[in-house]
Amino acid sequence: MDVQAFKQRILPVQGRLFRVAQLFLRNREEAEDALQDVMLRLWSNRQQLETYQSLEALAVQMTRNLCLDKLKAHSRQKMATDGDFPEVQATTATPYQQVEAADSNELIHRLMEELPDQQRFILHLRDVEEYSFEEIEQLTGLSVNNIRVILSRARQRLRDSYTKANDYEADY
Amino acid sequence: MKPTIEKLLEKYYDGETTLDEEKELRAYFQQENIPAHLQSHAPQFRYFANARSEHPSLKSINALANRLNAPEPNWVVRMGSWSVRLAASIGLLILGFGGGLVYNQLRPSAGKGTDLSFISETAPEKSLKQTLAFEQLAKTSASERIDAINQSYEITQADQEITQLLLNTLNFDSNVNVRLAACQALARFEREPSVRDGLIQSLKVQTDPNVQITLIDVLVTIKERRAVEEMQRLAENQEALDAVRLKAEEGVQSLNQAGNAPS
Repeated sequence: MDVQAFKQRILPVQGRLFRVAQLFLRNREEAEDALQDVMLRLWSNRQQLETYQSLEALAVQMTRNLCLDKLKAHSRQKMATDGDFPEVQATTATPYQQVEAADSNELIHRLMEELPDQQRFILHLRDVEEYSFEEIEQLTGLSVNNIRVILSRARQRLRDSYTKANDYEADY
Repeated sequence: MKPTIEKLLEKYYDGETTLDEEKELRAYFQQENIPAHLQSHAPQFRYFANARSEHPSLKSINALANRLNAPEPNWVVRMGSWSVRLAASIGLLILGFGGGLVYNQLRPSAGKGTDLSFISETAPEKSLKQTLAFEQLAKTSASERIDAINQSYEITQADQEITQLLLNTLNFDSNVNVRLAACQALARFEREPSVRDGLIQSLKVQTDPNVQITLIDVLVTIKERRAVEEMQRLAENQEALDAVRLKAEEGVQSLNQAGNAPS
């Protein structure tokens, strides 16, 4: 696999890999580091890459494993990436909406982080990265039914905790 | 639309929606006017939509691109430098061995001459010859020549060349002291006929009283009777110094006595 082929097949995925890394590491810089690590590992193993069925699945798995390793290596305190979120807001919204949207976005983000790792991962893969069940199955090794159940639980839990948090804030 | 959205939401929370349906939901919640009873669902869909636009910073993408681009030339350069290093080390080895071989081959041929000369003549002999050689006369100092002559005392086996050199020195050296030294050195080789002849000849040539007296002494010591004639002539020579004439007379007498005694 030469540079061109590598760029064509791997580089488009790096956004996804970055988000997966960020999902686990909860830190922008570390996610970027992890992404670079994964890319360089893929690059140095580019001779064997042809033998894999899905490069993307491989890359996502590598990212996930690398992140889990990193987390295991130094069990760190949670580091939120709140600072980055205002940047991705729609610019058309009014400042008030921006603040509100940023608030709810931040809240969802925090609630996401409170989900169990597996739920969070599958929810992310499905609702953010829009993977099909088959792809998630390939990535996680879980059965489709299992994935559906986990996904359903994650979605409900996210909604419930959001409603709860919102009510609490409203009451407050 | 409303019932559909509500139905979709229900399916969504059961994990039964397809990707297309989920897209529809996300698109629906992106819009501004959402009925109040659905408001609470909006944020998470918006969050998902937003999260999707999260990308690594341009800086890190560039850094990565650089690192991916760089390794290729790097790899070549590293291989190049490796092979260059290998070639250089092999070259050095060959150079070293080759140099050693050439050196070893050259040394015997260069050394043969010196080795042979070491066999044929000893070191003092060589330096003696070098210093006393007639052409060297102008280049060497008197003390150097005396030194060289003194080295002849280390030579046990006299050869023609050396005695001839000494005789030449005795006859033609410009310095009296050198001639004296040569004369005394020649006394050691009294058994050589050429030395005896040379000494007698030299007595005719010498004009310096010192050398004349020394020569007479030497000739008397070696009991060279053939020198009597020359000594007689010297004794009668009015130009010679008194001391020399006396010495010559003495020499004639002692030689005659020595000659008469055994007979």
